[in-house]
Amino acid sequence: MEKARSFALAEFVSPDRLLDAASRLRLEGHPDIDTHTPYPLRGTRAALLLAPSKVPVLALVGGAAGAATAYLFQWWTSAVDYPLNVGNRPPHAYPSFVPITFELMVLFAAFAIFFGMLALWRLPRPHHPAFELEQFRSASSDGFWVSVAEERRELAEKAAHRLRELGASHISVLEEEP
Amino acid sequence: MSESTHLSSLREPLVAEQRSLHQLTEEICAPMERRPGGLWWAAFLLAFAALAMGVGMVAYQIKTGIGVWGLNKTVGWAFDITNFVFWVGIGHAGTLISAILFLFRQKWRTSINRAAEAMTLFAVTCAAIFPVIHMGRPWLAFWMLPYPNSRGSLWVNFRSPLLWDVFAISTYFTISAVFWYVGLVPDLATVRDRAKSKLRRLVFSVLSLGWNGSSRTWSRYETVYLLLAGLATPLVVSVHTIVSMDFATSVIPGWHATLFPPYFVAGAIFSGFAMVLTLMVITRKVFRLEHLITRRHLENMCKVIIVTGGIVGLAYGTEFFTAWYSGNLYERFAFANRAFGPYGWAYWVMVSCNVVAPQLFWFKRVRTTPAVIFLLSLAINVGMWFERFVIIVTSLHRDFLPSSWAMYTPTVIEVGTLIGTFGLFFTCFLLFARLLPALSIGEVKAVAAYAQSPVAQLAAASSGEKKPKSGRAAA
Repeated sequence: MEKARSFALAEFVSPDRLLDAASRLRLEGHPDIDTHTPYPLRGTRAALLLAPSKVPVLALVGGAAGAATAYLFQWWTSAVDYPLNVGNRPPHAYPSFVPITFELMVLFAAFAIFFGMLALWRLPRPHHPAFELEQFRSASSDGFWVSVAEERRELAEKAAHRLRELGASHISVLEEEP
Repeated sequence: MSESTHLSSLREPLVAEQRSLHQLTEEICAPMERRPGGLWWAAFLLAFAALAMGVGMVAYQIKTGIGVWGLNKTVGWAFDITNFVFWVGIGHAGTLISAILFLFRQKWRTSINRAAEAMTLFAVTCAAIFPVIHMGRPWLAFWMLPYPNSRGSLWVNFRSPLLWDVFAISTYFTISAVFWYVGLVPDLATVRDRAKSKLRRLVFSVLSLGWNGSSRTWSRYETVYLLLAGLATPLVVSVHTIVSMDFATSVIPGWHATLFPPYFVAGAIFSGFAMVLTLMVITRKVFRLEHLITRRHLENMCKVIIVTGGIVGLAYGTEFFTAWYSGNLYERFAFANRAFGPYGWAYWVMVSCNVVAPQLFWFKRVRTTPAVIFLLSLAINVGMWFERFVIIVTSLHRDFLPSSWAMYTPTVIEVGTLIGTFGLFFTCFLLFARLLPALSIGEVKAVAAYAQSPVAQLAAASSGEKKPKSGRAAA
């Protein structure tokens, strides 16, 4: 577990002001800024300089693994382990192996995406410090929230002060439980 | 009818009335948070009674054996496989709406995708029942899976389309469930944050995995959703292709056709959209969501029905042409018998419901009147059920040897089982509409936010003051 961090949280009334404030704070030297919004906002990636997601790579690996597993398993069971003559079709009947190879490719890719997504999100995580704040409930309905994470409480309080200047409401500073 | 002139159909708002984000949350969550009305209870009890009866029918059939069905040596597949294909087909519209329309950036899908995906899950569940109970000894269903066993390991036959079906349907169900759940997570968090009781808050905290709307999760979420949509799109095509291969790889005249995969996929989308319309016309009325599931949504779905219905009609014609052009005696007989033989009435029910009825959707008045849409969607559901019945039974009942010729009549048990799956489907759907957000809250907000952006407001203002008041015109 990392060191307990402090968070400055604040709510904005509109997405534009939220993104504006977030990019200003980032330029003023707060490295770890996040926004919490009820729907995905255009321009968040640019405002927070988010890196592109690694999920597509996981999907590719999962899909390749699924296809390889399915084809090899079908070949091994039908042509190596117990070759059985059914309707005089060849034991290694590669065209017949295509549908299941495809299905398992999709299945494994989707599992890789789903579980990879949870791992990258670090979810399930039921105890984010922001949940301690009653007003934060609006982040999933109509509130546009920003959070600034800092190693030291003084820095978080500085960010909170700056957020007040930028016109935010419901400003508070919270600490992560160690 | 349409009271306003819009600048462009692209600017026509997807959320028909101005709503704040908070109002949208309230409206979509309202059906989950108020006590159910009398109408809901009536529908639920009816569906549940049908389900209970279906359970009784299946229990009796499993206890006694599949002799309680009307099958005979010649017609070995009939009602059950018809129902199987029917339900799988219904499911496909859900995936089409959630995945394919997403890839095509069709924003109008946002109000209907959640319910359509739920429909997919329930329909595939209904479908899966039929092959399993058709085994006669469903407790041995695990024999369909390739597991190491004490018979030498005798593996399953990977060269059989029936086994491809096992993999296709189970993969399809799993992917649909994952896709649905991923879409639900942000909305489950919304419900968690609104929860008043401790228990409800706990349940939705667990289900929503600690979602807090963070920009990092949202940005990955969009990537994940896009990837899943990209995977689900070829999957849905593959599933019904494989279902059609159950027939097409056989040597039965009437089944042995390379046309089957595209024909079945188009038919599946056609019937699925009809079922989505049936459900949406009711849902928007009962939950008073006419401004979110607007006439434009219904109209767009009707247009999809015109296209897919056209493909299905073309396939019917092509089948006949191919049978004639092949010069094959058995093929020619199979198709003449299909239209003019003892089951000719079923063929003409199919043609009138699937080819003739959808042509009414060419009239704008028809495709914007919910009551008429509802009736036509029911007709298409019936027609598509008959399509599968016609393909399966008419091809089998006249065997190569005239001494084997037979007729098939369903028994009460079979009809009861079909009604039972409708009971299961509607029980699940009604519970879903009460327990989970039936519309995607996050996605509707993103669309509504566009509607309130300066560009859209400018367009709305210049299209005049007389904005449509959503769904008040008489049906």
